[in-house]
Amino acid sequence: MSAATAGDTPGGAAGRSAGTPRAGEAGEAGGAAEARTAKEAAREGAGSDRSPEGGRTGGRARPGVAVLRLHRTALLVWGGYVLAAVAVLVWTVTVTADAALREQARCVGEPVCGIAATLAYGDRIGMVATAVCYGFLVVAAFAGGALFGRELENGTAHLVWTQSVSPARWLAAELAVAALPLLLGSAVLVLSFRWAWSAHRELLGTDWTFADVFVARGPATAAYCLCALAVGALAAVVLRRALPALGVSVASVLALNLVLDGFRPSLWPHVTRTARTPFEVSGSAWQIENGAVVGGRRTAELGPHLCDGTAAEVRRCMAEGDITGYYAAYHPPSHFWPLHLAETGIVLAVAALATGAAFLLLRHRTA
Amino acid sequence: MSEETAALKAVGLGLRYRRRRGHVLRDCSFRLPAGRVCALVGPNGAGKSTLLSLAAGLIRPTEGTVHVLGTGPAEARERFAYVAQDKPLPPQLTVAGTLRLGADLNRARWDAAAAGRIAYAHHAPDGDRSGSLDPGARIRSLSGGQRTRVALALAFGKRPELMLLDEPMADLDPLARRELLGALMGEAAEHGTTIVLSSHIVTELDGACDHLLLMGGGRVRLAGDPEELVAAHTLLTGPARDLTGHTVVESRGTDRQLTALVRPGGPPGDDWRTAAPSLEEVLLAHLRNPGAPDLVTEGTVNP
Repeated sequence: MSAATAGDTPGGAAGRSAGTPRAGEAGEAGGAAEARTAKEAAREGAGSDRSPEGGRTGGRARPGVAVLRLHRTALLVWGGYVLAAVAVLVWTVTVTADAALREQARCVGEPVCGIAATLAYGDRIGMVATAVCYGFLVVAAFAGGALFGRELENGTAHLVWTQSVSPARWLAAELAVAALPLLLGSAVLVLSFRWAWSAHRELLGTDWTFADVFVARGPATAAYCLCALAVGALAAVVLRRALPALGVSVASVLALNLVLDGFRPSLWPHVTRTARTPFEVSGSAWQIENGAVVGGRRTAELGPHLCDGTAAEVRRCMAEGDITGYYAAYHPPSHFWPLHLAETGIVLAVAALATGAAFLLLRHRTA
Repeated sequence: MSEETAALKAVGLGLRYRRRRGHVLRDCSFRLPAGRVCALVGPNGAGKSTLLSLAAGLIRPTEGTVHVLGTGPAEARERFAYVAQDKPLPPQLTVAGTLRLGADLNRARWDAAAAGRIAYAHHAPDGDRSGSLDPGARIRSLSGGQRTRVALALAFGKRPELMLLDEPMADLDPLARRELLGALMGEAAEHGTTIVLSSHIVTELDGACDHLLLMGGGRVRLAGDPEELVAAHTLLTGPARDLTGHTVVESRGTDRQLTALVRPGGPPGDDWRTAAPSLEEVLLAHLRNPGAPDLVTEGTVNP
């Protein structure tokens, strides 16, 4: 074969273009034309492309830098969103909590008492919980619609593939450049939310078992974001159109979230407590089921307060009904982490599968 | 391998999108020697864009293979440039930003001067620079012709060994077309760059190209040096007579008078008046008659 085999041998390209204006004139020719826009010229001077190797040979393509260039706005929006959520939390906890606490103190022993400040405090924390937990829906829309879908639909992805970047490298770069800020932002959001949520629990009506609080208090938040990114990529590679990919990716991750929400208590073995007499599990536990033990079988249809009255009446009632005791199945608060990590693992597995499928399909489609 | 490496070679290349929808491209075999300027002509829907997409590695053929610069499209990625028909560019970038994107994506061989010449250096005879681009202008604010200019600047900046240009002239005014053709000729002459440019307007490329691929109905109908292709055909006019011995591309006429475009199988009889057809006549005759046999002149197909 006569031609140079690869562009990263400096002689390959330089030799071919001997006698043409090279790096030095590149700066002048480009600079002369670009000087007309002062802003652009300033940016040009500061940019790294004007380094000796920028205009000449050498170095591998930098798809990551290109992706950042293309999606700077999205990055700024994500950063702004994270900062705004943190700001709301800090303000709520440090500024507005005092009024709510004073209100609570004033209300002690009062039959009728306004708790507007407390409600507002809980609303704001709850709003951030919802935003942090369900942020992955926005990530899915962005990934399926804008990041991958639009580039595949309008052909700018093809433009990148016919530069010196293969489709697989393009996909990897887009995923990596999006995943990093998502991970960082999620970490900031989760840590801030954990702090804010536990600061004044007495002012909050939410429990650790609430769907959004459950997700927002740990790495599942980041896992859902990564999964949304991967599912968006897969939907876009399959459909190659922005709007359908947006719809499919949002619907898919929402469905995944709803399914996991439904199965959440089953992701880790629960605790079952039985007793001869009726009992209540601790308020902080996540009770899944309770009822009476009838003839040695647990029956949820029969409530724990089936037999009322004096001790003798209760005994007779239990004997007649063949009730030997009462039970409750529940997750104590200590089960938060096993439950949460199990869900995180499932979501990450789905993310990995979607990523693998997107790469395989892209490989299959392109040369 | 032949004495010179083919810049582009197809062997039995075919593509169909869905089983029920037939072929977009069918059994294409040709060989484009390096250093040629090749016109890829044919009517709309002939498969020109598909062929270029396959060569650029954007899609995978369902049959056959395509070789680019002696290897597969994926391996040759750094060494060829491709400009798609709709000139896709990220709308949110500026012209200068788009060229920086090209630099980032082609660090190994980016030539900012070559890209800048195409994008910014517009030479009208009276020194008017109205056609040249503002580096700070957003892509979304540009006209079709200006976008074409930026897309071509990316292609030139890559300093490719092969340029695959899909309808590069479509959005350009006559002056800009002339300018682009000049730039392409200069590139080919100076660096030995192979250039493939598609067009559905045959005459547009006449004289500028030393190689021609005519596509019709997903097939390569004619391939080779345009002069050789024209020389292989003769226009016969005469009393309606037997044309056996000649390969007839097209014939029409009345009972007494017949005009036929043939590939002569021997010296025509004395009854015939012979004339040399124009390139356009040869191409149109083949497009009007899908049944006419294909012709690939010597040296463009591998043994």
